[in-house]
Amino acid sequence: MALLQIDNLQTSFTSEQGVVKAVRGVSFSVDKGEILGIVGESGSGKSVTMFSLMGLLANNGKIVGGDILFNGQSLVPSNYNTYKEYKQVISKIRGNTIGMIFQDPMTFLNPVLKIKTQLMEPILNHHKVSRKEAYNRAINLLKQVGIPSPEKRMNQYPFEFSGGMRQRIVIAMALACTPSLIIADEPTTALDVTIQAQILELIDSLRNKTDAGIILITHDLGVVAKLCDNIAIMYGGMIVEKGSAEDIFYNAQHPYTLGLLGCISNPEKDEDELTPIPGSPPDLLKPPAGCPFVDRCQKAMKVCKYHMPYKSVITKEHSVSCWLQDERSK
Amino acid sequence: MNPILQVENIKTHFDVTKGLFSKKQIVKAVDGVSLEVYEGETYGLVGESGCGKSTLGRTIVKLYEPNSGVIKFNNNDISDIKGKELANYHKDMQMIFQDPYASLNPRMTVGEIIKEPMIIHKIYENDEKREEQVKFLLEIVGLKPDHIRRYPYEFSGGQRQRIGIARALALDPKFIVCDEPISALDVSIQAQVINILKKIQNEMKISYLFIAHDLSMVKHISDRIGVMYLGRLVESGLSNDVYHNPLHPYTKALLSAVPIPDPKIARSKERIALKGDIPSPINPPKGCTFCTRCSQATDRCFNERPSTIDIDNHKVACFLYE
Repeated sequence: MALLQIDNLQTSFTSEQGVVKAVRGVSFSVDKGEILGIVGESGSGKSVTMFSLMGLLANNGKIVGGDILFNGQSLVPSNYNTYKEYKQVISKIRGNTIGMIFQDPMTFLNPVLKIKTQLMEPILNHHKVSRKEAYNRAINLLKQVGIPSPEKRMNQYPFEFSGGMRQRIVIAMALACTPSLIIADEPTTALDVTIQAQILELIDSLRNKTDAGIILITHDLGVVAKLCDNIAIMYGGMIVEKGSAEDIFYNAQHPYTLGLLGCISNPEKDEDELTPIPGSPPDLLKPPAGCPFVDRCQKAMKVCKYHMPYKSVITKEHSVSCWLQDERSK
Repeated sequence: MNPILQVENIKTHFDVTKGLFSKKQIVKAVDGVSLEVYEGETYGLVGESGCGKSTLGRTIVKLYEPNSGVIKFNNNDISDIKGKELANYHKDMQMIFQDPYASLNPRMTVGEIIKEPMIIHKIYENDEKREEQVKFLLEIVGLKPDHIRRYPYEFSGGQRQRIGIARALALDPKFIVCDEPISALDVSIQAQVINILKKIQNEMKISYLFIAHDLSMVKHISDRIGVMYLGRLVESGLSNDVYHNPLHPYTKALLSAVPIPDPKIARSKERIALKGDIPSPINPPKGCTFCTRCSQATDRCFNERPSTIDIDNHKVACFLYE
């Protein structure tokens, strides 16, 4: 059984302008020790997928369909008798067996609390341990994420740390209760390249040490290339292509994936021109009836506009949702 | 070719002393940078946050006053100009800002935003002519002329950045400082903006100073590149030379840290690990500014500032190449 199994997840937000279908049928699974990369542009629904999973949706957001199974347990509110029951379950899991790393370490950390307090909080919350024991665990966590002189650092405030160090603390907090699944939402976007490389190396080493499953959400294909075993490409609230890192980089099928690969620059190669994807992402208030990418796709056919493409399986791991895979288009 | 912009040993310092009796504290954001930009070329300025690249860009546009040094534009010294002369300078020297959400006034229409510099500098006699020009500019940056009556909130990030570009072009400048114009945009939109900037350069022969922290994109647009670290230019040269034959240990580390969008190469490539973080610019190291993180640092690096050495137009400030 997979560690995390998401089936046909649909999440919508109600707004004054109407219903925003942010996630429209997303399915994937994560195993122990696997790093899954979820790549997409802003508004593609990648963060909303994670918020649905963690029960962190804003008040106007709701899971309207599909299922989320974590270790065989459903994490969809409507599968519980009362919302209170769901709350109890999710708050035992969140920060405990599922750890989270967010994009901006400065807004995630509380500026008026010492690192000590913030690091010990999840441990004291989820485990029956003494403060002394929690303190020792927190020191070990800081060592694990490579922060020098942890005893001294424990008594400092977030502003006394640099951006890279803060992100290490956020990672330490995510690891506080030895989670079996870690969700990293753009963990390096706010950091400089040299610091980014340090943090990515740290995440990679955690996978080997803890055997946790990791979901890495990013918009940077360069970041996922090195780290991820499998990659899912999201667009307009759906996964348009999914496969191993090799499948996505060397044998991409979906025009959007190809487009993404065409507009990033590879410093190891000398390409002459970048080929941008024309246009901009669809408005999810009124998503197109067919493929979400139809308006920007160079190879769009008439069918793409009116009918949603089905998932075509290329190999066991590699699948793509595109009408070009259909026999009739060839 | 003549350099259109010459910057000689420019220094921009900020006084950050707190309290009446505390010791004077000065951030040496730009501490002795010299560079030239030629007509119609793009000079890419790269470095991590806090290295002073944006301060240098803003000093060149004269949003900050330099503490010392000379800025020459078209061979005229503009370091001390004020008033009317400064306004004239701004006709030729424009800027594109990083954040397309913060740099456009939300209460002005697109037309008003692009028209404003024309009105200030009184370059068209009536509003009809100005409107005509605005529509022309909108088309150049890939927007539609009927967008002129809309407000910035109606546009996406990439489209807003195009409005920012159109505004920079309004006065028909010779030089544009682009301060991280693509870092707030999605990947698929970044390439669009880069291509527009390239197209404009080909058609209008504008020079760019392109400031960025993303090294892979800079390579695409720059003819020459300068690498900054803690207020100093540690290496500069033709873009190909810097990318394929980096000399300074910092440039090497920076290039090796760039994520490569190719799993096989990315997994096999050895990274030059940099220890620690960039030191505080208030108390930069006494010798070479990079000595605290450099793996090849010797005693000399800690005590003496390396001067810039010119190796076939590829300049580097490092004792290794003496």
